Amino acid sequence: MIIVNYIVSVALIALGLFAVCTKKNLIKIVLGLGIIDYGINLMIVSIGYVPGGTAPVYTLSDFANFVSVSFVDPVPQALTLTSIVIGACVDALALSLVIMIYRKYKTVNADEVRRIRG
Amino acid sequence: MMEMFNNYEVVKHFPVIAVMGLFLFAFLIEIFGAKCKIIRNTLTLIATGGAFALILGLIPMVFGEGNVISYWMGDWKPVAGYAIGIGYEVDALSLFFGLLVSGTFFLSSIYSIKYMSRDHHLGHYYTLFLMLSGSVLGLVLTGDIFNMFVMIEIMTFASVALTAFRNKKGIALEAGFKYLILGSIGSSLVLAGIAVLYMQCHTLNMAQISSIIGGAGLNPSLVFAFALMFAGFGVKSYIVPFHTPAADAYMAAPSSISMVFSGMVNKAGVYALIRLTYTIFNAMDIPAVNILLVTLGAITMFIGVTMALAQHDFKRLLAFHSISQIGYVITAIGLGTALGLSSGLFHAMNHTMFKGLLFLCAGAVFYATGTTDLDKLGGLSKRMPKTTICFLIGAFSISGLPPFNGFASKWMIYQSVYAKGVESGNFAYIFATIVALVVSVMTLASFIKVTQAVFFGQLPDKLKDTKEVPFAMRLPMWIMSGLCILSGVFYRFVDVNVLYPVRNAAFGVKNYISSMLGGEAAAAASNVSSEEFFTLWDPKLWLILFAIVLLAVCIVVLLGDKTLGAVRKNKASEESDGKYATFFGGEKSTHSHVAGSDLFWGFKKDFKGYFKFMQGMHSGSVNDYALYVVVGTALIVATMFIFVL
Amino acid sequence: MSETVVTMLTNAFSVLVFPGLLFVMIVGLLLAGIDRKVLARMQKRKGPPVLQPFYDFFKLMGKETIIPDAANRRVFLAAPIIGFVSLVVMVVLIPIGGYTPFGITFNADLIVMLYLLTIPAVALIIGGSSSGSPYAGIGISREMVTMMAYELPLVIVLLTVALKVGGGSFCFSLGEISAWQETNGALITHWELIPAAIAFLFVIPAEVGTQPFDVAEAETEICEGPLVEYTGAPLAMFKLNTAIKMFVMTALFTVLFFGNAVATEYLALNALIVVAISAGITVLSMTLAHAVCARLKIEHLFKFYWTVVTALAAISLVLVWCL
Repeated sequence: MIIVNYIVSVALIALGLFAVCTKKNLIKIVLGLGIIDYGINLMIVSIGYVPGGTAPVYTLSDFANFVSVSFVDPVPQALTLTSIVIGACVDALALSLVIMIYRKYKTVNADEVRRIRG
Repeated sequence: MMEMFNNYEVVKHFPVIAVMGLFLFAFLIEIFGAKCKIIRNTLTLIATGGAFALILGLIPMVFGEGNVISYWMGDWKPVAGYAIGIGYEVDALSLFFGLLVSGTFFLSSIYSIKYMSRDHHLGHYYTLFLMLSGSVLGLVLTGDIFNMFVMIEIMTFASVALTAFRNKKGIALEAGFKYLILGSIGSSLVLAGIAVLYMQCHTLNMAQISSIIGGAGLNPSLVFAFALMFAGFGVKSYIVPFHTPAADAYMAAPSSISMVFSGMVNKAGVYALIRLTYTIFNAMDIPAVNILLVTLGAITMFIGVTMALAQHDFKRLLAFHSISQIGYVITAIGLGTALGLSSGLFHAMNHTMFKGLLFLCAGAVFYATGTTDLDKLGGLSKRMPKTTICFLIGAFSISGLPPFNGFASKWMIYQSVYAKGVESGNFAYIFATIVALVVSVMTLASFIKVTQAVFFGQLPDKLKDTKEVPFAMRLPMWIMSGLCILSGVFYRFVDVNVLYPVRNAAFGVKNYISSMLGGEAAAAASNVSSEEFFTLWDPKLWLILFAIVLLAVCIVVLLGDKTLGAVRKNKASEESDGKYATFFGGEKSTHSHVAGSDLFWGFKKDFKGYFKFMQGMHSGSVNDYALYVVVGTALIVATMFIFVL
Repeated sequence: MSETVVTMLTNAFSVLVFPGLLFVMIVGLLLAGIDRKVLARMQKRKGPPVLQPFYDFFKLMGKETIIPDAANRRVFLAAPIIGFVSLVVMVVLIPIGGYTPFGITFNADLIVMLYLLTIPAVALIIGGSSSGSPYAGIGISREMVTMMAYELPLVIVLLTVALKVGGGSFCFSLGEISAWQETNGALITHWELIPAAIAFLFVIPAEVGTQPFDVAEAETEICEGPLVEYTGAPLAMFKLNTAIKMFVMTALFTVLFFGNAVATEYLALNALIVVAISAGITVLSMTLAHAVCARLKIEHLFKFYWTVVTALAAISLVLVWCL
């Protein structure tokens, strides 16, 4: 339980949400989205922490000595990898949409890219 | 051959083959289908048709005998009662949604063949389409919560790409961007909830989480996880205040995709909510959760339908009605009673059918005329009569007129809401019933307006040459109209054979757990028995009564004077006789088009303040919409903490 | 075998003669005639004979039917018949003096009535919509707004009556509501239901479409709105629907608020009592308002129903819920 990790992850999520809610430039909104993802990834990885544990990899010496080794939890690491990949794909798609919007509307200001409303 | 369907060892592979097959065919189309139309269409039909057939093959095992099919990927069976692999668990609830998903995608793929034939880059379209269908099917069939999250992400991805498919139009890009941002925030909320849940339970298998929570009870972290996941799945099912991307996305997407969106993608969110509240947390006997769901449902219903009355675009209006009908489903599910759950699920099924039908008709109108603006359309019933009939069937179903299916499910919802109100003595439920009835009338009003504006009324000169749409597009419309009528008249059959096993599955958490993990883990969870379902309406009796009176009237009319049946067609008198020109002051009579937005002006004038406020709230800016998501999440978390702990 | 024949004949009798087709046609047109005669007398005129609606009906049946070119033929001709059929089905369900034909007692026929009441209005709307005329377009939008306006107080009044009869829960069966009033006194005598009765009296002219709430069919403004292109037999059916609706609404009022308290042993006498009370209610709610008030504009109508009439109904609901 590393307290600093949790505080930082909550701060990142809050910053990301603030960026999405207030920034007018579409690219900054996409950046905010990315920051939310990283905050959550940090939280997931921190969950798996076991004090005094090593990386969750079995080595041959462990098998030879039948020593019980304490590992950190490998499942959150797998979850985080998946989440990082998903975050990368979402950012790529979002940025390509921003490029197409720029070509069409000649602006990336969110207040001007809102033809559908009401 | 038929014994194959009763053999558990064979049938248990069907769900995985269906989902993986759809993904595999998606990649095959990307490789082979870029240039050749025949290969693309054939591969798509094989994929969606095959998935539908496989899901149909699960019916005897799951509905008939009440088994739960559990399949562990890679055969990683649970060790010492502790789940270590990813499991696919198909019980009656999952199969119900699975049937809806695969059926809708199959019909949509038939429709897309002709509808999308005028667009380019169709290889990408079908790839994304099959990925969307695979992900939604995987979502409803899986038993592992992180797998559900991954499927949600694939679904969001494919949906956004399909929304922005016609990227020459600015509104498609704008709608796609907003959908991506808001959908990603929703998925992130789900992921945060899963992380907190994992911290408490150290497992990702839904059955195991359910048994751990059942044994341990709720602590603040679990309530926080529940609230986060509730908000996240709420974003996916477009409850107010998370409904804003739905309106834009349904409008901008091609109609075959809009049908799938309104038919299944928001049902996936509803399915996830049911799994969350009924199975994982088993929280439906906490009054705060009930009241929260019913309140959110009532607000969603009302805001959806009032916004719909002010729209100028055909598909955006249908999108707001979609949001409103999902409000009905959420209200019914939130009651926590057996009758409530089955009426909500019945309405979800009917909504898929009639809303899909309405979007297909909107697509047909767009294909034939090139526009969906209500102020420019009119009088199309003379040029497109078959589409008009299908649209009328859909409109009467959604308004809840007998004998269509909307009436049956809405009546069940009213029954369940006031029964719960009487049982708990809480006035909020009575209020929700009144709101539901008023919203039903307003839905009827809105569809009368649309029918008048698009199909009846006067035909503008520009639309004089519109033709009826091709058969491949009409076939799914006929199929869905037929299903609307059948499930309305024979609703007793649907209830006994389809809804009863689903009800048992949703309330039988013990059964769910024990088939995944073995017997010991199940002892901690509770089991709720389903009540006797009483019915007060027999459509067959009514139809007989109707038919008798109709026969009597026809006999009386035909026996009368010969002139009773004579009709004479009247040509428009404007181009005739000059001697009547004095009555018109000499000027030529002008064609004054009563447009869609001219109707209901009195109603809109009375509520000017309300409409101005609501239309101002839907400002179109992604920042505002994200703010609504954040505020909504905060309210849900606060409510959960105050009232549950 | 002969029993089934007897039941079939009795059912056919109830559907076709009493209280079905023939009875409701005669009584409906009679009520319309009484309405016009009393209105004329209130305005110090002599007025048409009481049987005038019958003469009008048969005259219209004999005229030729002209279908405009822009109209959708099938829907245009089918709309009045659908409305008529649903009204007759409704009448078969109203227990006149406790007599329910078909021997069926439904548990929730009040809600079925609510639904069936929307069908004639929708038939008028669809009929007007399919005639392809801009006057009809405006007329149907006003008709729809009127329907939205009166549905809310109507729902609240029905809920109030159901709650009162059911004790703690709701009782939606018309048969049970009638029977309850036989033992506990007519509901109109219970003081907490009087605002609900008044609200229902306001809803009746809006449902039927008489002045001052007939903005949908304003003759002076939009040439009779949805009916502008109708001639001959379909027009006769629509006028007949209006007349039957008068009877249905007033008979519903009688059952809900008087019930079996005014019933006797004989079916014929019960029918006469119901007709008499219906005539009285017609005069009170429809003719009086018609003679005194001018036609309301659509936004005033909507505001009126959603504020004054809903408030009356809601007062009753709260009183019944708390007492």
